[in-house]
Amino acid sequence: MKEKTEFLYKTIEDKTITWSESSNQYLILENTTALIFKKLNTGVSIKEIASELAKELSLPIDKTTDFVTNLEQEINALKTEKDASTINKDTTINKPEKFEFIKYYKINELIFKVEFHSEYELYLVHPKFQHLEIEDTNIHAHTFTIFCEADFIYFYIENNFIGAWNKNEIHYFQGKFSMELIQKIHKKEEKEWMGVFHASAVSNGKKSVLFLGDSGNGKSTSLALLQANGFTCLADDFVPIDIYNKEVYSFPASISIKKKSLETLLPLYPELENSAEYNFKRLNKVVRYLKPNNSDFLSHLPCKDLIFIKYEKNSDLKFDEIAKIEAFKQLVPDSWLSPIKENSQIFLDWFASLNCYQITYSENKKMIATVAKIFNDEL
Amino acid sequence: MKQLKNTEDISRKDALKKIRNYGKYTALTAIGTYLILKPQKAQAGSPPDAGTGF
Repeated sequence: MKEKTEFLYKTIEDKTITWSESSNQYLILENTTALIFKKLNTGVSIKEIASELAKELSLPIDKTTDFVTNLEQEINALKTEKDASTINKDTTINKPEKFEFIKYYKINELIFKVEFHSEYELYLVHPKFQHLEIEDTNIHAHTFTIFCEADFIYFYIENNFIGAWNKNEIHYFQGKFSMELIQKIHKKEEKEWMGVFHASAVSNGKKSVLFLGDSGNGKSTSLALLQANGFTCLADDFVPIDIYNKEVYSFPASISIKKKSLETLLPLYPELENSAEYNFKRLNKVVRYLKPNNSDFLSHLPCKDLIFIKYEKNSDLKFDEIAKIEAFKQLVPDSWLSPIKENSQIFLDWFASLNCYQITYSENKKMIATVAKIFNDEL
Repeated sequence: MKQLKNTEDISRKDALKKIRNYGKYTALTAIGTYLILKPQKAQAGSPPDAGTGF
């Protein structure tokens, strides 16, 4: 019987990752369970599966029947779960007549005009892109418009409505802004991306590695340290990967440096001393912005290594290869992954081919030396 | 005393049997344990955090 196309399966180590198309969710199943899951989806009866399982595990059939029935219910729940759109499609709203701030940003040869209704909208975007600002110009390729109305933030490109987000979901507006920006820079549509990862991407000019980890673990700080030691910042915080070549694409935003990292970074970046400090109360963050050293924002490089990085005071350097399934568990909830089936298959195959490491450090030099070894395939 | 010992033997057998059965159900529990991972519903900037930050 031909298998229905709702699910994808990828066995990694002793588990099977199962992807559900209707919910765009990833399940981590035991390999035996994934086989049962597959059988249920190809129309094999519960009775038949339960009977086989009862023999295999020497268990009473009523127990295995319960088990398989429950599994089928879970599958049905996944099939009916749909992604709720957060975007309020209110396109009838009147745009403001006056914009308090109009900024121009030059990314390679492309000029973006961005209209901000007030200081509030300006601070949602401008600090991360300030280093790209140029003087007023009549020549620009794209016009982005941002304004608030009631409790919503509205985003237009070339006068076309892109979306509106509640103020408590500002990070999704910022994500969309970044996404539209990279799509214009790299001339790609949303369906041409495998995903966008909450990571920092560093390169040696030939390839890239991704730093992952919870917020506050030191991704951006590690990136800034490497940038001062001969490496290049490809992307910070927002790391897009292309679906065709599976390469990390450059994102031109600044590196956000938290207050606690200043002491470490000031000797390397004296300009941070007098750079503006932004207090994002909603995010509970005080940050300064550091210009990335990348000069070509069209660049893109392959990535074979994921590194879960953690700065821990007084810790000796710890370097370990980690289980891919563990890495997967940490990676997925923090990422946007294309909901398109073909893209999801490419993501699973790409992920299975990666090396996953964990570095815990307190001495910068040792961390830099270890990352350099990863780049040189010396580990 | 002997009888008591016998009783004890029977109890031990029963206990072992129970453990074996329990072990089998554990196998079922183990293969039924799974994890659902939900990616972000859209592209996102840095989400709010506790900000302990390095």
